[in-house]
Amino acid sequence: MNLNKGGNGQPIVLSGEMYKSIADVLTDLSSKTRAKTIIFADMNGHPITQRGQTTEINIPNMAALAAGDFAATAEMAKMVGEKKRFKYLFHEGEKTNIYLSNVGEGFLLIVVFDSDIALGMIRIFTKRAIDTLSELLANAKEEEQKASKFLDVEFSNYLNQELDKAFNF
Amino acid sequence: MYINWAEQEINLKIVYYGPGLSGKTTNLMHIYNKLDSSMRSELVSLSTKEDRTLFFDFMQLEIGEIKGKKPKFNLYTVPGQVYYSNSRRIILNGADGIVFVADSQKERNDENLDTLLDLENNLIDKGESLQDIPWVLQYNKRDLPNRESVSVLQKKLNFWGVPYFESVAHRGVAVFPTLKEIIKRVIVHIQSI
Repeated sequence: MNLNKGGNGQPIVLSGEMYKSIADVLTDLSSKTRAKTIIFADMNGHPITQRGQTTEINIPNMAALAAGDFAATAEMAKMVGEKKRFKYLFHEGEKTNIYLSNVGEGFLLIVVFDSDIALGMIRIFTKRAIDTLSELLANAKEEEQKASKFLDVEFSNYLNQELDKAFNF
Repeated sequence: MYINWAEQEINLKIVYYGPGLSGKTTNLMHIYNKLDSSMRSELVSLSTKEDRTLFFDFMQLEIGEIKGKKPKFNLYTVPGQVYYSNSRRIILNGADGIVFVADSQKERNDENLDTLLDLENNLIDKGESLQDIPWVLQYNKRDLPNRESVSVLQKKLNFWGVPYFESVAHRGVAVFPTLKEIIKRVIVHIQSI
C-alpha cells in the first residue's frame, strides 16, 4: 500500500515501526521550534500523533478543521489554475499562529506556535521534518496486516454490547 | 479509515448526508447532548448566522477500550443546500459509512431523490457506489402531519434495500438506533475486506 494515497480515501494502516518513526520526527521538530503543539494527521482529519501541549487543544477537532481548511483551499487552488493544492497555509493571530503544511497528498502537519517565534524558523524546521516524513512514507513497505485482521468477530460482539450499554436511553 | 497498530487504535468516518433542513445537524446535536463528555469531543459547527451548515459539523465518538482496541468514530454532516455541492464532495472523501437523512414531508420527495442521486454521483467519482459502501436510510420528521407514507418513501429511495429508520430527530427518536446500525455495518464491511 502506498501510504501517500491516504488522502484519496484509501485505508491507512500504520505499523508500530512506522508510527514510532513519525513520532520521533515530531519530537525532534517540537524541541527545535519550541512550538506549542504539533499534530500529524491524515487529510481525512484523523489525528495520528501529536507533541507539546495537547490537553488545552481538542486534538480530534483541530485535525478535522485543518483537513477541512486544506480541502477548501485545494478547491481554491484549482480555481486559480494550480495543479496541486497549496503547500502550506498560515494563520496569524495576536498571540498564537498556526502553520499548516501538507505532507504528500495524504497527510498534514499542524504547528501551533507563539507569535513571538519567527515564522522563518518554523518554516525551515517544518520543511526539514516534512522531507523526512515524506521519505518515510514513500518508502513504507506494503503492510501485511489487513484492516480485517484488526477487527475480528469477537471484537464486533463486544462492540455491540458496549454500544447497547452506551446508547441505552 | 485509519488504523494504528502501535496504539491499537482505529478511526472511522461516518457522514450524515441528505437534503437541506432534513435534520442531519439535529441528529449530531442529540448524540452530543445525550452522551457523557468522556465519550465524545466537542461538537464543531461551521454554520452561517442563520444556523445553516456552511461547511460541516464534526464530533468524535469514543466508545472506550474494547478487547484492548480503541475504536473512534468521526461523525460529520454535509451542508444540504444545493449550492454547496463542492463541500459535500469534499466531506464525503474517506467516508467509511453514510447515514442518508431524508425529509419525510411530501413536498420534499423530489429533493430527497435529487440529493440521493447527488450522493451516488459523488461516490461514483471516487470509484465507489451505494451498492458497496455501508449506508442506512433515516426517514426523519415522522411527527409531521404532511409526512409521506413509509411505503412510498421506500419505493422512491430505498432501491438497495438497506436498513431504514423512522425518526423524529429533534426528540431523539431513532437517532441512536440509526447510529448503532451504521457502526455495525461499517465494522462488518471492514471484516470482509
